[in-house]
Amino acid sequence: MPYHTFKCSKCIPERTKHAVIKGHGEDLTSCLPLGYLNTIPGSISERGCAFCGAKHVIGTPMKDVIHLCHGPVGCTYDTWQTKRYISDNDNFQFKYTFATDMKEKHIVFGSEKLLKESITEAFKAFPEINRMAIYQTCASALIGDDMDAVAQEVMNEMPDVDIFVCNSPGFAGPSQSGGHHKINIAWVNQKVGTVEPKITSDYVINYVGEYNIQGDQEVMTDYFKRMGIQVLSTFTGNGSYDDLRSMHKADLNVLECARSAEYICNELRERYGTPRMDIDGFGFKPLSESLLKVGLFFGLEEKAQKIIDEETARWKPELDWYARRLKGVKVCLWPGGSKLWHWANVIHEEMGVEVVSLYTKFGHQGDMEKGIARCGEGALAIDDPNELEGIEAMMELQPDVIFTGVRPGEVAKKLRVQYLNAHAYHNGPYKGYEGWVRFARDIYNAVYSPIHQLSGFDISKDEIDMDNGFVTKNIISDAEIDREASIANNEREYTGKYDCVTHLREKTY
Amino acid sequence: MDEIQNEKVEQLVNYIMKWSLWQFNSREWDREKQNEEILKKTMQILCDEPVDNGTPEARYYWSEAMILSSDFKTNFEWISQMKKTEIKKLMEDLKNRIDYLTITGSLNAELKVKRY
Ligand code: SF4
Repeated sequence: MPYHTFKCSKCIPERTKHAVIKGHGEDLTSCLPLGYLNTIPGSISERGCAFCGAKHVIGTPMKDVIHLCHGPVGCTYDTWQTKRYISDNDNFQFKYTFATDMKEKHIVFGSEKLLKESITEAFKAFPEINRMAIYQTCASALIGDDMDAVAQEVMNEMPDVDIFVCNSPGFAGPSQSGGHHKINIAWVNQKVGTVEPKITSDYVINYVGEYNIQGDQEVMTDYFKRMGIQVLSTFTGNGSYDDLRSMHKADLNVLECARSAEYICNELRERYGTPRMDIDGFGFKPLSESLLKVGLFFGLEEKAQKIIDEETARWKPELDWYARRLKGVKVCLWPGGSKLWHWANVIHEEMGVEVVSLYTKFGHQGDMEKGIARCGEGALAIDDPNELEGIEAMMELQPDVIFTGVRPGEVAKKLRVQYLNAHAYHNGPYKGYEGWVRFARDIYNAVYSPIHQLSGFDISKDEIDMDNGFVTKNIISDAEIDREASIANNEREYTGKYDCVTHLREKTY
Repeated sequence: MDEIQNEKVEQLVNYIMKWSLWQFNSREWDREKQNEEILKKTMQILCDEPVDNGTPEARYYWSEAMILSSDFKTNFEWISQMKKTEIKKLMEDLKNRIDYLTITGSLNAELKVKRY
């Protein structure tokens, strides 16, 4: 087994089995790190807790819902707005955060009364919203508050409201992934099948494991609608609470992030016989094949092909412009879970970048299987890395850019490694054809930023060439490329608008 | 398996690993079914045999198989030169290899977990 031991982790020998290097001839039967295990004491993990995974990843993107955290205010406040899951109702779920604000006295005397008061207060403050999700935390779980009973009591007293109870305290799993699992199962058990939807098409899907980061869901839904498909619900980005209660009525579950939402697809398959179809919304080829696959299922492949042809003709020359300039750029692909396999191969194939390392904070071995299968030889794959390991990897691999979350991203900047936000994006959306070009543009802007180049100089000792003026990104990036070929190929920089999402909300189909 | 056949199988395996997701459902029994159904239907399409797509479940497998067979034909021109018996043998060897990599030889400890 090609395990990799970090120098900084020699004192934590258990860490050795959490990192591998994919060598020549290695495959999944010889090269796979351990995964989804409790973090080893002494290793300062970058993971989130199971409450965070349930509430902040999956619950909160639901748009027409008051999301109330039953716990100390820090549980909800410290993780509020860490992801840009926008919505078409003026971002209600994103603008406000709600907590019962438990204190020591509630730990001693119980906090069910506090919970009930908070629920009614929140409904009164926002009379236009009559759906709520309440989330357990470590504190409220440990004192044993019966949140289901409180929710039922309120629903009995206020017949117009509906409340979902998510029992996923921080300790309910090794990482946020434990929370993904818990909320998936809780939703299907409590809510699916409790609303009968209006069916408006012969072709009906749920779009699952999609969180509308900077508009991803709206871009993808536009394609489905153009094909004549009714998107009954989205689990959960820009998704509506009552739509998600009717998930049982779809013909197909189209699954994007299997890491966070395969559970509900599997359950819907078992309980209602709805097939699960995994797709990739990132990258021209995976996206095109995904649309075609959904099209084939419904007999709509011609409509899918029309979209593929139109979108490819519009955006491919722009992708090519960036791809020509990104060839050979070294990348550490260090996201949370699913993007390690969504992106591992296609960024190499379509943008020419080299993935020198991949890691996952909370992924399972199944995610690493997909990631390692898709990355090239020599890549260092790390499960649940700690900060020192991340630093050691960056020093050794010398990447040009890393795709990761905010916290490790800030560490990278201090090492003069450029970073792109893989979770919340820089200038997304990144899904869709245009989105993929926007991603390429963000990578380009990161790698060739003149400020980044200048930051390598230490003006107290380095000699600065004052005659050579300020260079632009294009001067840097185009030094080594064949510009004639680029022009002959009609390649061009991104020409889309700053906001490529809002106009979709006005569209009729 | 002779070396040429082996080389062909590895090319197809590599393609599936790089571009497909269906082989990586999270449980062993699920992977067995996915591999079996999708590769069987892919073989049937490549051999111009009738393919069952009458139920939602079968239609899903068929949709995956349509994409895969089309990709195989586009990316590996030698497939079109093969006789049907050869394609069947190739697909059988491919299925065995994919089963080994994703199920019987897999190091993924979660495959045997009973529930999702
Ligand atoms: S681990 Fe517990 S206390 Fe900490 S944020 Fe998560 S739920 Fe709150």
